Amino acid sequence: MFANTKMAVVATLSLTQLAVFAHAETTLNVVSAGSQNMVDYVKTYLAPKFEAAHPGVKVNVVGTGPGDAGSHKIMEKLSAQKDSGLNTWDIDVAVVHQQIGGELVKNGLLATYRQDINTGKMVTRDSAVNALGINVDGYVMPMFHSQTAIAYNSDFVSNPPKSYDELVTWTEKNPKAFGYNGIKNGMSGVSFVTGWIYAYGTDAETLSAMPYDQNLAASWDKAFAQLKEFNKNITFTPGNAGTLDMLNRGEIFMGPVWVDMFYSWKEQGKIPPSIKLSLIAPGMPGQPMYYVTPTKAEHPELAREFIELATSPEIQAEGIVKQFNWYPGIDANHVQGKLDQATWNKLFAEITPEDLSQYGKSFPIGPYFDDIKEGYERKVSN
Amino acid sequence: MRRTTSHFLWLIAPAALMVGIFFLYPLCFSLYSAVTLDSGELTLAHLNKAFELYSKDIIFTILIVLICVAILAVLSITIAGIITLSPFRTLSKTLGFLYRLPLFIPFIVTAQMMRTFLAKNGLMNNTFIASGLLTPMETVSFLGWSGIIITFVWKQLAFSTLLIAGAMAALDDSQIRAARNLGASRWRILLQIILPQIAPTIGVAMVLSTVTIMSVLSVPLMIGTGTPTMMTADMAFRINSYGDYHVANALGLVSYSICAVLAWFYLRQNLKEKGAQS
Repeated sequence: MFANTKMAVVATLSLTQLAVFAHAETTLNVVSAGSQNMVDYVKTYLAPKFEAAHPGVKVNVVGTGPGDAGSHKIMEKLSAQKDSGLNTWDIDVAVVHQQIGGELVKNGLLATYRQDINTGKMVTRDSAVNALGINVDGYVMPMFHSQTAIAYNSDFVSNPPKSYDELVTWTEKNPKAFGYNGIKNGMSGVSFVTGWIYAYGTDAETLSAMPYDQNLAASWDKAFAQLKEFNKNITFTPGNAGTLDMLNRGEIFMGPVWVDMFYSWKEQGKIPPSIKLSLIAPGMPGQPMYYVTPTKAEHPELAREFIELATSPEIQAEGIVKQFNWYPGIDANHVQGKLDQATWNKLFAEITPEDLSQYGKSFPIGPYFDDIKEGYERKVSN
Repeated sequence: MRRTTSHFLWLIAPAALMVGIFFLYPLCFSLYSAVTLDSGELTLAHLNKAFELYSKDIIFTILIVLICVAILAVLSITIAGIITLSPFRTLSKTLGFLYRLPLFIPFIVTAQMMRTFLAKNGLMNNTFIASGLLTPMETVSFLGWSGIIITFVWKQLAFSTLLIAGAMAALDDSQIRAARNLGASRWRILLQIILPQIAPTIGVAMVLSTVTIMSVLSVPLMIGTGTPTMMTADMAFRINSYGDYHVANALGLVSYSICAVLAWFYLRQNLKEKGAQS
């Protein structure tokens, strides 16, 4: 009796096991660097859409953490798998930051695929070809473009600064009312410092392109000295979210933020409508996130289909622009037609497309970027 | 005799293996990385750079740890003393329950909590304003070094009080009663009878708190603002921002050296106690 029941149980168990395997025979591994909202985007928005279109495929989404550190982890994992001579690597699609995207290409870890997919031709931005001085043509598709800008409380600041010069004058008149997070607590502060060097050190065009001139950094001493002086009139905030928090609580009236994070918080009511954005001259940096697929991805075909879906005008309009407030990765003209006018206007309400093309800069190439950060550590915060 | 020895060796093998793989190997590896170039040559360049860029942060870390430990010692001895000696049973029971609470809250949750509690227009200041104690212009932000200290003390208080109150409870009650019979005040009993006997436990509680405080990354990242900051934040920054494990490991080496002195004290104390028992 007992033996029979046991057998029945074992049989049922093994059947259910089989059923599970039969349904999810293929797993597509998607690994995303970046903040939680990006992992959420891939996990809750993209993956279900892809699974619905591809029965029998399960998308396994893993987040590796915010900032360049997250992308670093992806690179370390791929290099390790390459070095150990594996035939297939367990990442099919990765979402990485611009700088690491370039390094992945340089280290031969990525496959070219842009010419294979239909949406490949819809990309017009320079960042799809050039990742901080490294030619990445064909290896990457921009997922979205993110930009930093200065947020200000329009209840208290009626005439927001239009340039770094005006900002400096403003902080002298309003000490401690401007806040940023230094360079160790998040990228919005790093962006602000980079913009400072673009303004008072060397222009963005020189720093964002090869070749690297190691003597250039020595000419930034004055810029760093001015920044040290500037830092005396401001409040330091704890992190990207910390700056927005302090703006919200009225502890500071101005500070650098990521545009997408700003719009998301505004939509969720975490910051009041009176907080607005301004992109100041000569410009602040922004960066794309890239979809890439490794050389030895286990499912190269599915990976291409996944990226094609993710960069299709519909998904870019609905997911990237409408739901997550990012600037689209493919050319905006392809996206505009899929969106209602109100959503479109909202994205460009405070920073006009002209401002964006004029003052939206790239980050500097790797070695200059390190020079800026280390120069800050050595001469401003030391 | 030899057989039993080999049995003992087998018994400790799993633990030794764990320590070897997950602690000693990474430790040696990071020490090696701190003093060598990529090519394998010995160098002091990384240590020099660590001191050149982060000497302020090293001093800041040491100061934060010292202040935290001093406040911790005073508070946890006071709480443990009240629990052991107070004539009001309900008071000591309530305290006994309350002080344990932070023990179950992770550091990162504590940090997030303190971040909204201690801010200039945060919960604490808003409560003061609502109750009429402060005006909005008088409030100050505690985010920064003071916030870091408050968070560490709040979180570690439970742990160190637990150890110290335990040691106090383990003391022979007859001594306290005898002292009381002879007319000693509670204050005097605490200072002259209890404290001298539990000094080693206090030392151990403080050493373990120090090591914990030195190793926490979330608190300086979430509550600290810019510079100076604690060494853990610098190590994370070196790795995340430059991919530079060498200088991060050099900072680790400095951190190890500070903790090693304390570990020596802890081990010595531990051995002494074991020696006294057998």
